[in-house]
Amino acid sequence: MYASRNLAKCTKDCLCLFVCPTGATDTETGQIDSSKCLDGCRLCVDACPSHAIFLVMDNYPEPEPKNSEVADKMLNFCAAKYGQEKSAEAIADSSASEAEKKLAAALKQSLRIVAEDCAREAGYMLPQCEKAQEFKAELGG
Amino acid sequence: MEQKDTIPVICSNLAKAAEKQQNPGMAAEYSALAEKYDDGKPSAEDLAGLKTLITEDLTVYPDLQKAAESAGDRGAQRALRWGQKVTAIQKSLIDRFLSKGDALLDGKGLFVCEACGFIFLGDSAPDICPVCKAPVSRFSKV
Repeated sequence: MYASRNLAKCTKDCLCLFVCPTGATDTETGQIDSSKCLDGCRLCVDACPSHAIFLVMDNYPEPEPKNSEVADKMLNFCAAKYGQEKSAEAIADSSASEAEKKLAAALKQSLRIVAEDCAREAGYMLPQCEKAQEFKAELGG
Repeated sequence: MEQKDTIPVICSNLAKAAEKQQNPGMAAEYSALAEKYDDGKPSAEDLAGLKTLITEDLTVYPDLQKAAESAGDRGAQRALRWGQKVTAIQKSLIDRFLSKGDALLDGKGLFVCEACGFIFLGDSAPDICPVCKAPVSRFSKV
């Protein structure tokens, strides 16, 4: 587990620099140098007054198994939303009206996000989980 | 193998997850796969046709919600509740556009919540997403 900074929350009080034993927190970009960060050290996480630093895991636990009936339904719904997204995309590409193009572009974006949420709840939340690994292997990725 | 028309969505979702894990290599891999398989066909021809499909989905949500409830799947219940609200907003926006035309968007912006897909029509994005409570920083302007 190594430390990572949420730059939107960082207030540049620099207490992380005071406590870091390796200088990993002192970088020009503001991001923490993971090659220098000590596994699980978390001194900077606890020292930061703005709660801007957190630990990124190396290993994730296998999620609770999904009910296969619900997972199938969520995946079917995901496919339906994707077809709708493609419809919105085609409308955005072909419409002569700027306003309709814009609305279709918003719908396209929205439909993909809803579809992704269905995929997540169909068991594809965590890239490291067995189901996602099998899926990737079948794609040859 | 999962049905083909879910592959790009599963991949783009896993790419986002990898990004959140600060794993750019894995994110790039999944983004490439999402693009490679992004060859789905539209299921509707125009906005009115899309509205019909979205309206049908709204009638499906209660049954899915029941199935998720009886399986004790809290995550799916949460996704379905957000999805139902967002889908109702999608329908209402299309309805209003079909009746008012281009004037609906006059001088206004469209903002999409990247956490749940909620679409806001107005001058600026809301401080908090009314559907999922994500902060304004999660909104993107179309």
